[in-house]
Amino acid sequence: MQQFEDKVESLLSMPPYGQPPEEKQAGLLEILKSELDYACQRHEGYRNYVQNWPLDYQSATHVADLPFLPVGLLKADPPLSLVDVGEIKRTLTSSATTSQSPSRVVLDSPTARRMTKGVVTIVRDFIGSERRPYLVVDTPDFRGSSSGMGARGAAIQGLQPFANGITCCLGVDKQGELTLDQDRLKDFAKDREDIEVLVYGFTFILWNHLVKPLMADGVRLNLPKARILHSGGWKRLQDQAVEKNEFNQQLARTFGCSPDRIIDFYGMVETVGVIYPDCSEGNKHGPAFGDVIVRDPLTLQPVAEGEYGIVQVCSVLPTSFPGHLLLTEDRAQVIAYDGCACGRRGISFRFAGRIPKTELRGCGNLQVNRSPVN
Amino acid sequence: MSSIALTALTQKVDSPAEITAAAVRLRQAVAEAEISPNDAINVFDAWASSLDAREFGDAPGIPFLRMWLRRGTLEPIIARELGPNGLHGGWNEYGQAKCKAFPVGVVGHWPAGNVEIQPILSMTCALLGGNAALVRIPSGLVDLTQRLMDKLVESDGEQILTRRIFMAGFDHNRRDLQEAMAQSVDGAMIWGGEEAVLQIRALPFPHWARVSVFGPRMSVAAMDAGAWGNPEQRDAWCLRIARDVWQFDQQACSSPQVLFLEKANGNSTAQFVAALRHAFEAENRAHPRQTIPGALTSAICLARASWLLKDTAHQAFFPQSPDWTLLFGSGSDIPQPTQGKTLTVLEVDDLYEPISNLDGNVQTLGLGIADPEKEKKLALLAGKKGVDRIVKLGRMHVFVPPWDGMDLIRPMVRMVRHVSSSE
Repeated sequence: MQQFEDKVESLLSMPPYGQPPEEKQAGLLEILKSELDYACQRHEGYRNYVQNWPLDYQSATHVADLPFLPVGLLKADPPLSLVDVGEIKRTLTSSATTSQSPSRVVLDSPTARRMTKGVVTIVRDFIGSERRPYLVVDTPDFRGSSSGMGARGAAIQGLQPFANGITCCLGVDKQGELTLDQDRLKDFAKDREDIEVLVYGFTFILWNHLVKPLMADGVRLNLPKARILHSGGWKRLQDQAVEKNEFNQQLARTFGCSPDRIIDFYGMVETVGVIYPDCSEGNKHGPAFGDVIVRDPLTLQPVAEGEYGIVQVCSVLPTSFPGHLLLTEDRAQVIAYDGCACGRRGISFRFAGRIPKTELRGCGNLQVNRSPVN
Repeated sequence: MSSIALTALTQKVDSPAEITAAAVRLRQAVAEAEISPNDAINVFDAWASSLDAREFGDAPGIPFLRMWLRRGTLEPIIARELGPNGLHGGWNEYGQAKCKAFPVGVVGHWPAGNVEIQPILSMTCALLGGNAALVRIPSGLVDLTQRLMDKLVESDGEQILTRRIFMAGFDHNRRDLQEAMAQSVDGAMIWGGEEAVLQIRALPFPHWARVSVFGPRMSVAAMDAGAWGNPEQRDAWCLRIARDVWQFDQQACSSPQVLFLEKANGNSTAQFVAALRHAFEAENRAHPRQTIPGALTSAICLARASWLLKDTAHQAFFPQSPDWTLLFGSGSDIPQPTQGKTLTVLEVDDLYEPISNLDGNVQTLGLGIADPEKEKKLALLAGKKGVDRIVKLGRMHVFVPPWDGMDLIRPMVRMVRHVSSSE
């Protein structure tokens, strides 16, 4: 296990986007195989799955040939775990905005530690490593408890290593609705026009509970050095027909900064420690300790450059649950397998929304647990 | 010659008035000229001959449609449903009474979007009863339906049938067009999944309209050891099962979702499952999937993983692609269907166990039973439990009435009874 930890540590310590793709693949393949060994030892059901996989993972020569797990399996209750109950330090829960059951992932101390390092390594590559005042566009409650946490809490906490002080600018009114505390926000912005500040919020919360109320009141902040990170997806803004460009323009105007200081990143609680920020070219990249495979739904093989498919995320970070090879329910387009103009090596891709919800089709679309006749 | 102008058979429709006007023309056509089933079969027979396999390539269901339209197929069906004199539109004698089939008028058809030839099949049922047919074509089937209808136009030089047909292409979300269609018909044949069927049944049909609903349901296969354990017949059985699974991408109500294998002392199912795997591989080579929704791929991957994680006694066989999946285990409960050529194979001690658990959700029971007496008992039990079709494996999709326990032609005719006043 120490050898494994050393290998992961070395990946977490190197520049996250500097390895040539072939070199990165070889390193990931070796570590992921050892993680599969470990997971098979710890979970007999998972071992059964891997043993029935059409290829022997030990002889696989590509990460794409390793057995992946559909992310829907992480909705199991109790959650899929590779550690004893006593070792679980925290359970992360997805926001479950597009499905009724949330995903649950269990973290032990080593996985939680790697998760924190992973996020720091990635974010540092985009915004630098210095600590700065941190404005959380959410309520203090959403920072999460010690044992359980949702996706918003995990994202908020993941950025804390870049903070030297935290301000939350949302509250909750008597009806349970989020409200913007403008006084607190203005206090935060006061006299900070010349210093770097970090801002984070879920995409729809930033828009609905900060940008819209401030625009309505004609309030503009003066934070030209703000770095604004947001995540959580665009689904909840689709009804308002808010496009990314408009979002960036209005958000930048509200903070008094340039739109290129806004970074949209993709993250799921299931991919602990790996987030996917937009680069300056508008693309996303996989870090040294993880990767992305975009699979053709017809063949499940990786798609060619320019094509769309189903996203599989790979990460060497989790060992407390089988989350190292996950087939998500998201679509993406591969822009290139190397050579993004931003300088980051390896795959560059763009998310293209969720796969439409799975449902049975045709005259055979019977849900057998629903309508017994006799 | 009729005063009715011939209209294009297949049209994209955008207003309720177009549907209403088409229904008026169709009703007039029915009123002006009576046709017998024999008249329709004459045209169908010519139409079947025109459906060249090379021209229609690998379009699903074409071989079956060719067979369905033949006189040899349809005449026995007419005789059974409309009586011995029904073929020529004659009166049948029943004691002192005589009965004859008359059309209900304009029959609306709402086919399911997953069965390529269903708009045509549904339409032919109404035409055999002397009706006119107003058909909504699901958006994914417009091209194939149009090509098939072009062949009908060529085969029906005297416009015996074509003047009784209007095929309307419109989005299923157009409530105004759906309502206009429902208000215009005297009968309805509704096919499809639960959501579609419930929406269409709720449309404002006239109070006199006859409504036949087909779906949603699922189907099951079962074999005894005498059948699956016979090495000489093993490959043939596996080919039949593969073909039943492959048609309609396992999305039809008649598609088997689970196969129950009755265990036998000293006989392992392993060889049979291996043969079934080879049959699936061969069928996949012969009929590879051309496209798949991402959601179905996702569901197939989830089904494979869920099955194997759930129980270490479970096994599965599948390629890296989502092409096909065999999930193998034991138990008599019907698992949640996945579709997309995902067949669950379950060992049971006795076939009476799973068949005792069936209910009206199950449309077809496909059987491979070596013992005829046992098959009789199983068929009786399945019928009591709500199953409407019990057929040999390999024939689960053969569209012969009764379908879903109902006749296909008779529901859309009026059986007029005449008892002579002079007797």
